[in-house]
Amino acid sequence: MLNTIIKREILEYLKSVKFLIGFLITVVLITVSTFINLEDFKQRQADYQAAKQELKSVNRTSGALYRAPEMLSILVQGKDRKLGNRIEVSSYDFPSRLSGYMGRGVSQHMRYKTGFEAVDFAFVVRVVLSLLVIFIAYNAVSEEKSSGTLRTALANSLPRDQLLSGKFIGGGAIVLGSLFIATLLALLIMISDKSVQLGGSDLARILGMFLVSALYLIFFYTLSLFISVRANRPATSLMLLLQVWIFLLIIYPNLGVFLAERLYRLPGEEEISSKQEAVIQPVREEINKTQADLMEARKNDFNSPQTKELSVKRFELSARRAELAHELEAEIDNQFTRQVELVRKISIFSSAVLYDAAMSRLARTGLDEYENFMTALPHFHQQLVERGRLMYRDPEAYRNSKPPEFSSSRESTARSFVGTAAELMLLFMFGIVLFSMAYISFLRKDVR
Amino acid sequence: MKTIITRELLDYLKSIQFLGLICLTVLLFTANGLSFRDKYSQELDLYSKRMAEAYKNPSTVKAMLYRQPALLSFISEGGDEESPPGYVLSPKGTIGPLPAGPRNFKLPDLPEPDWAFIIKIVFSLYAVLLGYGAVSGEKEQGTLRQTLANPVSRSRLLAAKYTAIVLTLIIPLLTGMLISLIIVSFYMPQVFAAGILHKVLLIFLLSFLYLSIFALFSLLLSSVIHQSSLVLLTLLTVWILFAVMIPNASGILAERFSRVPGEFQMAKQVGPMIKQTVWNRIKSLVDKFSEGEIKTEEELHLQADRVFEEGREELSRHIKLYENAMKQRQRTGRNISRISPSALFQYAAEDISGTGPDREEDFLQDTRTYSAVYDEYILKKVGKLVAGGYFSFAYGGDLRNGKYIIVTTPSPEEYQGDKSDFPRFSESSLSISRSLQHALLDISGLVLWNLALSILAFAAFSRSDVR
Repeated sequence: MLNTIIKREILEYLKSVKFLIGFLITVVLITVSTFINLEDFKQRQADYQAAKQELKSVNRTSGALYRAPEMLSILVQGKDRKLGNRIEVSSYDFPSRLSGYMGRGVSQHMRYKTGFEAVDFAFVVRVVLSLLVIFIAYNAVSEEKSSGTLRTALANSLPRDQLLSGKFIGGGAIVLGSLFIATLLALLIMISDKSVQLGGSDLARILGMFLVSALYLIFFYTLSLFISVRANRPATSLMLLLQVWIFLLIIYPNLGVFLAERLYRLPGEEEISSKQEAVIQPVREEINKTQADLMEARKNDFNSPQTKELSVKRFELSARRAELAHELEAEIDNQFTRQVELVRKISIFSSAVLYDAAMSRLARTGLDEYENFMTALPHFHQQLVERGRLMYRDPEAYRNSKPPEFSSSRESTARSFVGTAAELMLLFMFGIVLFSMAYISFLRKDVR
Repeated sequence: MKTIITRELLDYLKSIQFLGLICLTVLLFTANGLSFRDKYSQELDLYSKRMAEAYKNPSTVKAMLYRQPALLSFISEGGDEESPPGYVLSPKGTIGPLPAGPRNFKLPDLPEPDWAFIIKIVFSLYAVLLGYGAVSGEKEQGTLRQTLANPVSRSRLLAAKYTAIVLTLIIPLLTGMLISLIIVSFYMPQVFAAGILHKVLLIFLLSFLYLSIFALFSLLLSSVIHQSSLVLLTLLTVWILFAVMIPNASGILAERFSRVPGEFQMAKQVGPMIKQTVWNRIKSLVDKFSEGEIKTEEELHLQADRVFEEGREELSRHIKLYENAMKQRQRTGRNISRISPSALFQYAAEDISGTGPDREEDFLQDTRTYSAVYDEYILKKVGKLVAGGYFSFAYGGDLRNGKYIIVTTPSPEEYQGDKSDFPRFSESSLSISRSLQHALLDISGLVLWNLALSILAFAAFSRSDVR
């Protein structure tokens, strides 16, 4: 009997115009956005490769470091573009933020990009497919009740639980089928381009994204089923669902940021600059004094031991100043991270926020990958300082030494999966709770 | 006609959509008022301190020109949070952006919950939710046939339905605007001292024009398509396209269409350019000095100054080129997105609120005007004009007979005398006519959409089979 219901549900959905239109929109959007994002990735990848190549041909005392664009940003743009891709670290200058290729103070890249957001696979699932799911399921029960077919169906020897399970499995199969086709389409577009080399771990990540998307859509499906069971008229269930959708996707995430900004206050510009001044000023004064002494010493004898000592001292003080400035900025960045964590905690009940967090983690386009890159920087700076010291103490050894290599660890696939476990479990739990509620409500429902 | 409007209006007011809209309106506009109160007072405080500091220490080396926080940023923030708080002006018109404040760049990229956002996204969606069944719903129930059996013309019926939808949207809209204004005026009465009410009224009219488009779209599709659930699906598709897809995809499309060299390509040219325009020439000067061809240290400095300044100018030109290309790309993106009424509304709201790229361009124009006055003052006081800027070069070494000589980029001089007559920078105020001038294209676009859709909706309804 269950099979018959599932089959009937699937056929009903497949024949419906609403499914056809929704599915077509999904296919068109996935195709267009994947093509556009693929071209964008290729451009950024070419820039990155050229920048790295350029770097090899120049032997410098400072190191320009580049952050590679993430291949899976084709599917989930996340913050990959916005966090910057270049940082120039020297022994005496150690910034804590990334910039565009044009460097600090010059790059206008970010600024002129405001107002335009990314349209990608994650966006299509989050916005378009979730709406399609609502459209498929809003009248699953309420329509049958208002048209009287529910009463007729239950007049047969058909247990209520089987009917609801049949509807759930039938509709769920349609939802997951649409998602599967959308994912496959995006994947095919990606691998049809020679510049995209997907490895085993990338495929595992894409599989993870499919799983997250499936849980997200199942959440909306069970929600629709529940409201459809509770409401007596299909129009009422649709209106309720669309309003819940607006709340979960648009209002709640914004409120999360609004509340977090108020509950966790960040230091003001003045507070930051006075703190910086207090810490750096003594070192700056010492640098100025050493510089004056050095100039004086150079006037007397350019190569005297005293000149050499003063040069080393000036170098070390400059490196110390850079370190202090970096530590202060890094502390502010930590506060930023804590505020973001609070946003996540407040928004824990928003399926859209959970979905975004999990997707960007799996695509390595979220903050975690950026933090990995940033935490590797102090070690690189330390190596630059040590090599720079050699320049004064032992010029021969300096000339023979190689510039330090920068390496930052990238999050492993297993770690990304562990990192998204909380979001996956929550989405799963919400789905289970909503299905149970729908189930209980349906068992107690007056079908007349 | 009145009876139909009253009946329709009452139906809408009793609907679940209206209840939801009212709840969201109260929530969002309250958040908007409170958020603006916090941000604006902080920004204003910072701006006052910065200005006081700039007035206290006038400088002939560089002038700090700060942007006044936009009074109406609660209506449309216009991405100002990402824009620089001001510019630093050096002699000879070198202008560079000041770094933005400590904004948390790690926060999710969500739009600012300003009036423009609430109306553009939430209200437009509710316009669709209210209007989708206006014709098709009645057709399904059979009430449309009965209504038209009475002596009511189709155009009147449609006009009544349109009025009822718009009125249902306007009631919560006015309530929300009032809530936001009350919160803002309660904490910051000075906001109203500036007489912003006429601009608020203008925003209200703009919102009406915008929401009317969605109401007309609903009526049009509701007249053409018979099944109301299909009408809603089609309308939601249109809404996604207008409010989300077109404005968001236009940025990426602009990148595809506008031929701007990549940022890396531009950055790559900087090194060779400096090498060619500065270091090669400085090296030849130093060689000439070592060989005695350049006789004195003064002569070396004089020639090096010229080289450095030319190098700096070349570099500034290069960066300007890139900046302009990026601005052009931004304009292209905005122009592409103008297909969507949501983008038209957003840009017009920015222009009226005095935020967004148009206002920033106005500010830059003010800085250019001030630059001439500033240069004149420096020339009068210092006697010479040396360009300043972000870039400086230095070359030092044992150039002749063990003597350590440094040649550096010439820097502007600080005048040490009385600077009480220092020219003050003033930002041009945004008059209503100037706002309208900026917003004219977008307002015209909204009007055109309304005209086209109303003709189509009336034509479709008059030809619709009501059985």
